[in-house]
Amino acid sequence: MTAPSPRTVARCLSFGDPRHLEAHQFLVDEAALLDTQDYDTWMSLLTADVRYLMPVRVSTARGAGFDTAPGMAHFDEDHYSLSRRVARFATEHAWTEDPPSRLRHHVGNVRTFPLDHTEDEIVVESAVLLFRSRGDVREPSLISAGREDVLRRDPTRAAPSAGHWMLARRTVSVDESVLRTQNLAIFL
Amino acid sequence: MRDQGAVLEDVRQGMIPAHIYNDDEIFALERERVFGRSWLFLAHESEIPRPGDYVVRRVVDDSFIVSRDESGVVRAMFNMCLHRGMQVCRAEMGNASHFRCPYHGWSYKNDGRLVGLPFHGEAYGGEEGFRKKGQALLPAPSLDTYNGLIFVSLDPAAPPLREYLGDFAFYLDFYTQQSPEGIELVGPQRWRVKANWKIGAENFAGDSYHTPHTHSSVVEIGLFREPKASKRKEGALYWAGRGGGTTYKLPPGTLDERLRYVGYPDEMIARMRATWSDAHLAMVGDDGFMVSAASVFPNLSLVHNWPKVENTDSDEVVPFISLRQWQPVAADETEVLSWFAVDRGAPERFKELSYKAYLMCFGSTGMFEQDDVENWVSITSTAAGSMARRLRLNSRMGLLADDKPVSPPLAHFSGPGVAHVGFGEHNQRAMLRAWADALEAPPPAVGTVDLGSGDLGGLEQGTRP
Repeated sequence: MTAPSPRTVARCLSFGDPRHLEAHQFLVDEAALLDTQDYDTWMSLLTADVRYLMPVRVSTARGAGFDTAPGMAHFDEDHYSLSRRVARFATEHAWTEDPPSRLRHHVGNVRTFPLDHTEDEIVVESAVLLFRSRGDVREPSLISAGREDVLRRDPTRAAPSAGHWMLARRTVSVDESVLRTQNLAIFL
Repeated sequence: MRDQGAVLEDVRQGMIPAHIYNDDEIFALERERVFGRSWLFLAHESEIPRPGDYVVRRVVDDSFIVSRDESGVVRAMFNMCLHRGMQVCRAEMGNASHFRCPYHGWSYKNDGRLVGLPFHGEAYGGEEGFRKKGQALLPAPSLDTYNGLIFVSLDPAAPPLREYLGDFAFYLDFYTQQSPEGIELVGPQRWRVKANWKIGAENFAGDSYHTPHTHSSVVEIGLFREPKASKRKEGALYWAGRGGGTTYKLPPGTLDERLRYVGYPDEMIARMRATWSDAHLAMVGDDGFMVSAASVFPNLSLVHNWPKVENTDSDEVVPFISLRQWQPVAADETEVLSWFAVDRGAPERFKELSYKAYLMCFGSTGMFEQDDVENWVSITSTAAGSMARRLRLNSRMGLLADDKPVSPPLAHFSGPGVAHVGFGEHNQRAMLRAWADALEAPPPAVGTVDLGSGDLGGLEQGTRP
């Protein structure tokens, strides 16, 4: 899957467009699943060829032409590796999330872009701010990121989401070089 | 400051005063006497392959630019302008012929030499008032490499790196010299955890005992078959020179069969055969031990595992190697830098799968690492209080009350150092003995540099590829 073409304000769908409304609802519904760690349902919204990527951001000089660590990511996942992560949380021995974190995915700045070559896929940009609290008095952590998603309409119309959209690709652009959270035993 | 003599004495007995994992006074001593003296990993040469390439790395509070200059020499330069102390490089990586200070515009070549000083004549009266010639960013007091791993020491009188590592260098070869080309190091992922730096270093050095329990989930989901307690206790724990580690006992077979068992393709096996010494080959082929986690004192760790990364019916596994550094931030905070390492000559498909294996197991998202850090954060937070000052943790596993070992060292082990089979905290004790020795020794003598006069001698240092 190639990266979507550069998007302009002019190409952004109107906030009243049904596709935008469906995409926005998808993200908000998804956030509720991630907040409650309902990962089985979340997995049912991912396409079989899903790609879930979160590069490592680095500080580079303006004009360097890159701001991610070459060849390294935090997440670089396919359906199988995501399924293993989710399966692990379902065991009784995933200590890092037992007791579970209190999570709140705040989703905003949603913009939806049509693609020229297909009506079955749309590109959705969003911002996400994850608040994560563990235990009673530990400092909570925040992860701020931009996301660029490709949603694909489920051809079988079985996906339990608004408009039967599924997540086919997500690139998470985290806003810190050095993360201030103990691990990424969460999804963005 | 309290007298730490009693603490060090306890530690040497294998009884660990719990507060050492969160104690500001101890941390102040560590900063001065452990991190002010030891050889510390900064980067690998493959991270800065071309002239002008640089990465910026830290030694506790000190920022160093690790660069390859125009003639190919690797240097580590203190990232502080000689004039007013501004960082001359504020990026984490890149390629530059010069570093120019944003404050007053002093500029330095990528070998550290001061080459630009605005209004040198008008403001300073030229060379007569301020001797620009021969001035350079302060070099790391000592710099040395092993298998392309770049280490620095803040002690100008540090012994040669190879001497410091001692026989642990033998084990580093398993991770970083699988062929004459060596590794390429990718990353790092960086994140900060509210845990004391020693806990991770001790864990990787020898805690095979935690694997079956902490990491039972990764066995349950079919990711990695080896951590079962029955298998883990068959492995040997070795300590050699300045480091030690854990191994897994491989099933019976020839050298090639055993290397295939952990997932190496035949062409990589052929290169290992041609590169490693007879003792390396015997440790795998004859003894049947394959390296897994390891640590070099004080804060560099390595890991080598072989999980299943693809959804197939076969049991096919793929090995990966990670280097990681437990960079101290405070008594209760550590920055983890975690890299993926792979043999430079490995087939591209192997590199891809090995990278995937790394991401699934270790690093910021790794399914092993997630549970480790949860434990270490909890230990650190609990170690802060007054009750922790009353508790001496028992780190004597593998020792009887009279200090005799529960089981004797292996009579035959092809690698150097001392090895034991079965669970034991031999290596954690060895790490903390090295730690106690470092804390006890007076801090190294260091001089100061006056700017504008004399030659800093910085250009003598560095290493050619």
